[in-house]
Amino acid sequence: MRKSSLTITAYMLLLPALLLMAVFTFYPVLYGSYLGFTKYTAANLGSNTPPSWIGLENFRTVLSDELFRIGLINSLKYLIIVPILQLASLGVAVLVNRQIPGIAIFRAAYYIPVITSITLASVMWEWVFTRDGLLNWVLEVFRIIDPKSSFGWLLNPNTALWAIMLVTFWRGFGYYMVLYLGGLQSIPSELEEAALLDGASTWQRFWKITVPLMRPTILLCSLLSSLAAIRVLEEIIVFTNGGPLNSTYTVLMYVYQKSFGLDFDYGVASAAGLLLAIVGFILSYINFRVTREDAPTRGAKV
Amino acid sequence: MKKRWLLLASAFGALGLTALAQSKVEIEFWSWYLSPKFDPYLKGVISQFEAANPTISVKLVDKQDTMERDLQAAIALGKSPDVVNLWSDATAAAAQNGLLTPVTDLTSIADLRAQFWDNTLAMFIVDGKNYGYPWYGWTDQGVMAYNSEILKKAGVTRVPKTISELLTASKLIKQRTGSYGWLPPVKDPNGASFLGQFYLEGLPLFAGGKAAFNSPKHITLLQKFIELMKGDFIPQDLLRKEAFQLNNEYYSQGKSAFIVGGAQALVRVKDANKDIYSKTKVVPAPLGAGGVQTGGSMSLVVPKASKFQKEAGLFAMFMSNNKAQVQFSKLAGIVPTTKGAENDPELKAANPNDALDVATSLVSGTGRFITPGWNPPKNTDNVYKNFNDNIEAAFLGSKSARQALNDAVAFWNANAK
Amino acid sequence: MTRFSPRKSMNLLLSYVALSLIGLFAVFPFLWTFAISITDKTVASGVSIFDFPASLFPKAITFNNFIEVYTVFNLQKYLINSLIITSLTVVGTLIVSAMAAYPLAKLEFPGRDIIFGAMLATLVLPSETNFIVNVLTLNKIGLLGTYWGVVIPTIATAFGIFVMRQAYISIPSSLLEAARIDGATELQIIWRIMIPLARPALTALGIFTLVNTWNSYFWASVALLGADDLQPLSVAMLKLKGQFNHDSFNVAAGAMIMMIPVLIVFVAAQKLFMRGLEGAVK
Repeated sequence: MRKSSLTITAYMLLLPALLLMAVFTFYPVLYGSYLGFTKYTAANLGSNTPPSWIGLENFRTVLSDELFRIGLINSLKYLIIVPILQLASLGVAVLVNRQIPGIAIFRAAYYIPVITSITLASVMWEWVFTRDGLLNWVLEVFRIIDPKSSFGWLLNPNTALWAIMLVTFWRGFGYYMVLYLGGLQSIPSELEEAALLDGASTWQRFWKITVPLMRPTILLCSLLSSLAAIRVLEEIIVFTNGGPLNSTYTVLMYVYQKSFGLDFDYGVASAAGLLLAIVGFILSYINFRVTREDAPTRGAKV
Repeated sequence: MKKRWLLLASAFGALGLTALAQSKVEIEFWSWYLSPKFDPYLKGVISQFEAANPTISVKLVDKQDTMERDLQAAIALGKSPDVVNLWSDATAAAAQNGLLTPVTDLTSIADLRAQFWDNTLAMFIVDGKNYGYPWYGWTDQGVMAYNSEILKKAGVTRVPKTISELLTASKLIKQRTGSYGWLPPVKDPNGASFLGQFYLEGLPLFAGGKAAFNSPKHITLLQKFIELMKGDFIPQDLLRKEAFQLNNEYYSQGKSAFIVGGAQALVRVKDANKDIYSKTKVVPAPLGAGGVQTGGSMSLVVPKASKFQKEAGLFAMFMSNNKAQVQFSKLAGIVPTTKGAENDPELKAANPNDALDVATSLVSGTGRFITPGWNPPKNTDNVYKNFNDNIEAAFLGSKSARQALNDAVAFWNANAK
Repeated sequence: MTRFSPRKSMNLLLSYVALSLIGLFAVFPFLWTFAISITDKTVASGVSIFDFPASLFPKAITFNNFIEVYTVFNLQKYLINSLIITSLTVVGTLIVSAMAAYPLAKLEFPGRDIIFGAMLATLVLPSETNFIVNVLTLNKIGLLGTYWGVVIPTIATAFGIFVMRQAYISIPSSLLEAARIDGATELQIIWRIMIPLARPALTALGIFTLVNTWNSYFWASVALLGADDLQPLSVAMLKLKGQFNHDSFNVAAGAMIMMIPVLIVFVAAQKLFMRGLEGAVK
């Protein structure tokens, strides 16, 4: 086959995807970024005037806004979930990566939270976290807390963010477990057997063999998970709307509140979105660098 | 030559007339949180309107928590609805940003005054202009419903007559039965509920046009509520959820003893738990030291971007007329904003033993008294968010009551311009 | 078979204990909600969902909550909308991804790496406010408020293309060469070789898309602005809490109605699904 006709075929096959992405992904990002440098508020809509260029004004507004700073700190705090979630998912993947009777049932059960929509998850977990809820009942039964000192987990500024992280963990571990299962199956079983003969404990095998060999997959999953973490929004909206005391107020919550309502300031919202994207790029870049250095042992073809 | 022109003109004229006679205008009406429960009612009023105005048809859409976002998007897209059901803060925000048509451009002020109480019209005045047709109203006090079984169990024999008696009774009930007494609004998601508590106790909110709700008396009152929450005599969930919702939920599960408010809460209790409903008794609501009541009303507004302004005005007047509101009151226990409702025979209690009937008859004629106590400030969203954040900080103990109110007043005066 | 050894069976037992505990963590909210949804709430003095452990094991069982939710909301209409939107999205995603992934996996052509990089970059780009611009675009091309308006902007995803590309890469190129020598066109190769061999990945992507589309409410509610008759179940479910804020039993029943269809599909296809997704990172 001639090279030029191959190129044409390639682009023909790519055409639908490229066209759709150009129109519905790239164009809105570019246009949205442009709006970050303009004044575009509800008043524009009322007086029917187009956005007007104001340079870096919105960025100054955002950076001097205390709410944005609170949001950024909370979004970065949310990154704590990443290592916990990834190690736990990998551990669970190792646990279910065996041929023992009934294992398929467990794998499927672990995936159920992933297919639960966030609206339904919010209904279920609210009943867990409320003061009279399931969590406090369990803690009281086991005498871990005194009924008199119990509190609603979503109402306490010291616990609300952690409670929401627990839901993120619940909805995420099955998803990453499946991704890790794929990676685990490419580890040669001879290695495991050799280690077993050497008398290595399960714990040692996990840290000395599984984790190093799975590093590329771990890094990929960590990247996905970090990007999701700094952009957490839906969970916040359905559970706390940013409260109590703004302890769960994240950057995207800021973007969200600025872009809705009849008082919206879309320029400021876009500027805040752009700033968050920069944080995302930095995280990706770090991840990319680490993966690169790791190239010789890479197992995942990413 | 001239003749031909004339002929042509008359031909066009005739065409235009027939076109006009045939063309039917469709207007879109967005209600807020009324579907599916009140679909039959809304559709009933709409079909009466359509029968009276054969050239107009009305499309009903119910929006819920996406109302503001959808309205903003629809206006930006040139697909604006024609009549929209908003609430006080949202009406103010939309009007301040120039998104609404003053209703006096569509309906004469005389007609408005003939249909609605002045106090309800005043709720939607922004910069001196009326922006909303007052639709259905409510009173925050109005009646008090109580679960007679819980009161008996707690040994409360005298039904509270003032807010401070109510709070004392609530403490007692919590100690003796484990159920809550009353769940007062302290931090609803829309609005600034704690201002209402000040207002009820007769404490002034403003002095010389500036926020001034940080006197020692204000601080003491806030402190009193903080202590109640600390002792779990009122649930902490009040910081997260709307008091109206929480009252419904707790009361219909037998976990609270009183509901203070309009009759509309009882409609939900009746649906949810017949048994508790049958144990419910209704009396006039206790009042604070101010001896005043608060209340509010929904608005029907017409976006500037609506293509059928005149028709929208007609429909909004019809939807909010006395007959329609009286009917709604019987169904939902709302307070009509119309003058005609005060002496409407339809609103007299039919069955003195039915809680809902009694409640409706007690509140339905009180439209002339409903007032929110104050109008939303400019820059509403930010100012209210700051106020609520401060109230929350005081309840959660991260600020003293004094500090919280001082901060809120300072922010208010700096930003509500 | 291995010999019986007490240590081994002890290990196995421990594994099952661990597996069950994790399983409990994963499914207990679901089970509890199910229990609430079938609880008869009409008994005297009210039932509280927080009355432990009683609320976990309902004494009187009823399906009235389901019937009430179904009739009050007239859910049939929404169910049909959900089915249409979900199937269009799944089919669209599979076609677009299966096509686009082939050249990225198996053909050498100028611009390939740039295109692939740009697609992956969409994972990082700030996309949260895209919907506003997308609604404007849909309005311009006349698709706002239609089923297609919901579907089209969502079918070309980096994730879908990525999953398919990984599946194609693991298919030996020698198969393709052989087919080419036999005179097959590239389209024939995709249809006859790639797709049959990538079936697990296709299934996985299909189910993944199905679940996501079924559950997502935000985009659907925006793209169907002004067309409330076309809205899917997920959007109707948002009204659940507004309507029944005082009635947790109906809310639970609504949640179950929403959840059960995806659960059935997932359980039925879970083996293929797991295999396909695993392939994505192999």
